[in-house]
Order: sequence, then C-alpha cells, then structure tokens
Amino acid sequence: MKKTNLTVEEQASRRGRRGRPLRFIRSLGALAWVAPALVFVLVFAFYPVLYSFFISFFKYRLTDPSHQRTFVGLGNYIQAFTDPTFVVAVRNTLVFVVGAVGVETLLGLGIAVLLNRELPGMALVRTLLLAPLTLTPLVVALVWGALYNADFGPLSFYLKQIGIPIGRGPVGEPSTALASLILVDVWQWTPLIALILFTGLRSQPTELHEAAAIDGASPWQRFRFVSVPLLQPTILVALVIRTMDAFKLFDSVFAITGGGPGRATEVVNYYIFKVGLTFFDMGYGAAMSTLLFLVIVGFSAAYFRVLNRVWTNV
Amino acid sequence: MNARLRRRLGNASTYLVLLLVMAFFLLPIFWFIETAFKPRVLTFAIPPVWFFQPVIENFVAVFKQVPVLAYLRNSVVIATGATALAVCLGVPAGYGLARHPGRSSNALALGLLIVRMVPPVAMLLPFYLLMRNFHLIGTYWAVILLDAVLNVSFAAWFMRGYYQGIPPSMEEAAYCDGATGLGAFIRVALPLGFPGTVTIGLLSFIASWNDFLMAMLLTARTTRTLPLGILETYHTYEITWNLMAPISLVAVIPVLILGFALQRYYVAGLTLGAVRE
Repeated sequence: MKKTNLTVEEQASRRGRRGRPLRFIRSLGALAWVAPALVFVLVFAFYPVLYSFFISFFKYRLTDPSHQRTFVGLGNYIQAFTDPTFVVAVRNTLVFVVGAVGVETLLGLGIAVLLNRELPGMALVRTLLLAPLTLTPLVVALVWGALYNADFGPLSFYLKQIGIPIGRGPVGEPSTALASLILVDVWQWTPLIALILFTGLRSQPTELHEAAAIDGASPWQRFRFVSVPLLQPTILVALVIRTMDAFKLFDSVFAITGGGPGRATEVVNYYIFKVGLTFFDMGYGAAMSTLLFLVIVGFSAAYFRVLNRVWTNV
Repeated sequence: MNARLRRRLGNASTYLVLLLVMAFFLLPIFWFIETAFKPRVLTFAIPPVWFFQPVIENFVAVFKQVPVLAYLRNSVVIATGATALAVCLGVPAGYGLARHPGRSSNALALGLLIVRMVPPVAMLLPFYLLMRNFHLIGTYWAVILLDAVLNVSFAAWFMRGYYQGIPPSMEEAAYCDGATGLGAFIRVALPLGFPGTVTIGLLSFIASWNDFLMAMLLTARTTRTLPLGILETYHTYEITWNLMAPISLVAVIPVLILGFALQRYYVAGLTLGAVRE
C-alpha cells in the first residue's frame, strides 16, 4: 500500500548488506526529532504510570504520617476482585461502554446518512453539531443534572406531564440512573461519530454506487451492500476513539450522581478517584488503575486487529 | 413527475428527521443559555418558563461571588501554555516519525499512542507527588505540564499521519539547495504542515480548557481555572442554576467561538485520519 515510491537509498538498503547500517542511522534520525517529546513523555507520563504500577504492590496510605509502605504482593489485586463495589463498578462500566458506544454508533450512522444527502442548509447543521462535543464536559453534566432534577428540572416536568412516573427523577432511581448517564454521553458524543462517518461517506467513490444503481439495487441495498462495507474501517476507528474515552467516564458521574443512588452509577474510573483521592488508599487505587488500563489496551488491540484485517480486505 | 414527487417527499422527510435530531441536540443548550439570562424568580418556575425579558442580574451575582475574570485569565494562561508546549514538542516528533519510517518509529508512535489509553486518574496522584517534589503545586506549571503531556502524544501521532500524506519532494529540493535538516524543516516542512498544526493546536487548547480534574488537584486559589469556578457556585443544600449557568456560559463561549471559527481544522482533527484513502 505504501511501498510504491522508494528513494534511491531505500532501494540500496533493500539490495545489499551495506544498507543495514544506513537504515539504522536513518531510524536514529527519527530519534533526534522525537527525543524532546520522548523525554518529556518519559518524565511526566511514563514515570507516574510506572510509579503507579510499582505502588500497586504496596499498602500505602497518603495520610499516614510515617509514609509507611508495606509490600503486599498481589494483595491489592486480590482485594479488587473480592471488593463488591469494584465488581459492581466493572459491571456498570461495561454496561455504560457497550450501551453508550452502541447507541452513538447507530444514531451517528443514521445522522451521517442524512447529512450526506447534501441538501441546502446541511453545512449549518454540521456546524451546529460541533456544539455539544465542544462544550466543557463538566458543564454538560451540570446542565443535564439540572434537566433531570426531579423537582424543578424541565425534562422531569415534561415526563410527568405525559404521564410517565419518574419517582425520584431519572438519576434518582437506581433502575434508570445509569441509562440517564448513557443519554448524557450519547448527547455529547453522537455528533462526533456522525461527523466522522459523514466524512467517511463523502469520501467514498461514486462509481460503485452508480454501478450498483445500474444493476437495479434499491437505495437500501446500495447502503447495506456498498456504503456500509466501504465504511467499515471508519466505523472501527470511531469505535476505538469512543471506547477508549467511554472507559474513562468521570465528569458526569462526579457532577450528577457521585456514583449513586446506592452503587447504581459507580464506575471504575470514578471509584479509583474516590479510593485514591478521598480515602488516600494509593496502593489499592493504583492496582485498579492498572486493571482498567489493561482492559482499555486489550479492547484497543482487539479493534486494531480487526481494523488491520478490514484494511487489507477492502 | 412521479419521481420528482418522490424526491420531494424524501427531502421533506429528511428535513423533518433532522429537525427532531437537532431539537434533541440544541434544546439543552438553549435551556442553559436561557437560564443564564432568566430572572432569578423564574429559574425554578413550574411549569418551566421559556419566554421572558432577559436580564443580566445572574452575571452580576456570580461575578460578585467568584473571581470570574481572574479564573478566565488562569484558564487562558494554562490552556495556551499547554498548547504551545504540545505543539513545539509534538510537531517535530510527528515530522521525524513520518520522514524516517521503519520498525523503530512505528514502535515509538505506538508508545506515544498508549499514553492516551492510560486513565488520567492513574497518572494524577503520582504526578501530584512528582510536582510536590519540584515545589510546583499551585503554580501554572503543574497543570500546564500535565495537560501538555496528555496532548503531546496525540499531537505527535496526528502530525505523523499528516506528514505521511505530504510527499517529501519539497524538502528534498531544499536539501539539494544545501539546506540542513533543521533548515528544511523550518523553511519547508513547517509551512506545509501548518493546517495540521492548527488542528492539533486547537484540539490541545480545547482539551486543556475543558479539563477540571487535573486543575482541581494541581492548582491553588490564585491559579484556579474557570471549570473550578463553576464548581464553586455549587451548594449541597441549595440549587444555584442561576449562578451555574452564567459562569458556565463564560467558560464555554471561548471554545465554542474557536471551534466554529476554525471548523475546517477542527473536523479534520476530530476524524483524526479515520478517513484514509
């Protein structure tokens, strides 16, 4: 795919053994450009991450005046799997990720198809769609928290008006609280998916669609058997981006529910925050961080595997 | 005739569905802006009041309670600093990775991407301890450094893709004219990569502007950012939408204007190479 235009040096390096040191020097060339960024990331990102990984094998309370660190091996990890709150948080996180990313993808695909009809006024619609995803997530959370408010929130009011019993409000009832947070996420991030997929649809060659139309394919068939298969890589990239972020859900839990009612909206990222920053149980928080990181990397790696296969097929 | 009618019906239904979709996305924003300008007595009216004479009493009240302008300045300083740092480090890195393809640069690019997968909460506490050792807690630097480190990996990764899409022939011409590597980068590659640089600058700025978790832990009273000011209006036993809405509006207007004004670059960044040829 990319190996069409080889420079003279590259051809030489492919031909003979003498190319080998040349190639090595060339890769060092990259290092010179990357070095400042790399040092910066190593000091300020990898060091904290490694420290977090290291401390996950210790009992370490930040509030302890003697700063005693006690080695406990895998103790913190074992604690995680026997901690009922963590188990609930994992389940809620998975429900949230699957629910939010799933709805966003379907809804986003639908909106992308509408945008792709290129009618007058579509440019304005695309511009306005940028608004939700640009807003500060904390503000989005506070606004939705207000809309959901059982006593004064407009949304709760109109739900009651049309005869839906809301009890203590959408986020006050354990049965609807997590779904309500999913709705907030859907509101903020569906436009992102819609814009990504729209860009993907617009970049598709028209010849295939025309050929399918000449062969008598209906609009639906053209969408299902031409557009969607061509769009697959784009959909996957959108999924990767959203999934990575959905696992890190924090702002709306922090600002709307605080993990409640009960443990209905307790999610891993927020629970880590609580354990680390309000109970100052550094070791345990770090162990859960490691687990969350591994899950995110695992999901992303799986996506990229599929993506590679799709890219070679198309 | 029949075909034309069908097309018109199709267009009409497209508009109708889009109208519903846009109502869903814009009504919460509309309510939020209205609340900022709504007289306090109407804030909690049931049923909700949608039409009224707009007032600025809420802005006056929140400016009295929270040092909004100082926080605005802090937000500008921190977001600008983090963006400048991310761009200055990320653009050369992306350029180098693109122009020296190979196993090692693929590994480097992947390593940078992994930073985006780390839950920020995991980095926050160790980073806090690190900053405490440097005596930087409460200064602009602490937040700038953390925001920049989260942005720089993305910047490098994005610019790598961007420069891969630009053939190196122009720089090779500069080499033939006797330019050094650095000279070719500054005089040729930087101008060519300018649109991409605007994109990552904008994304870095918005990301850092919108953050409150890092700022919450790393700033002190004199360096607090606007999102923290929003939280200051929050009371446990009293609903204060009349204060929350105006300060939130002040907080989101700058990024909304930037996003709309630089829309072309913004969308290019959001789709971050999702759409490849």
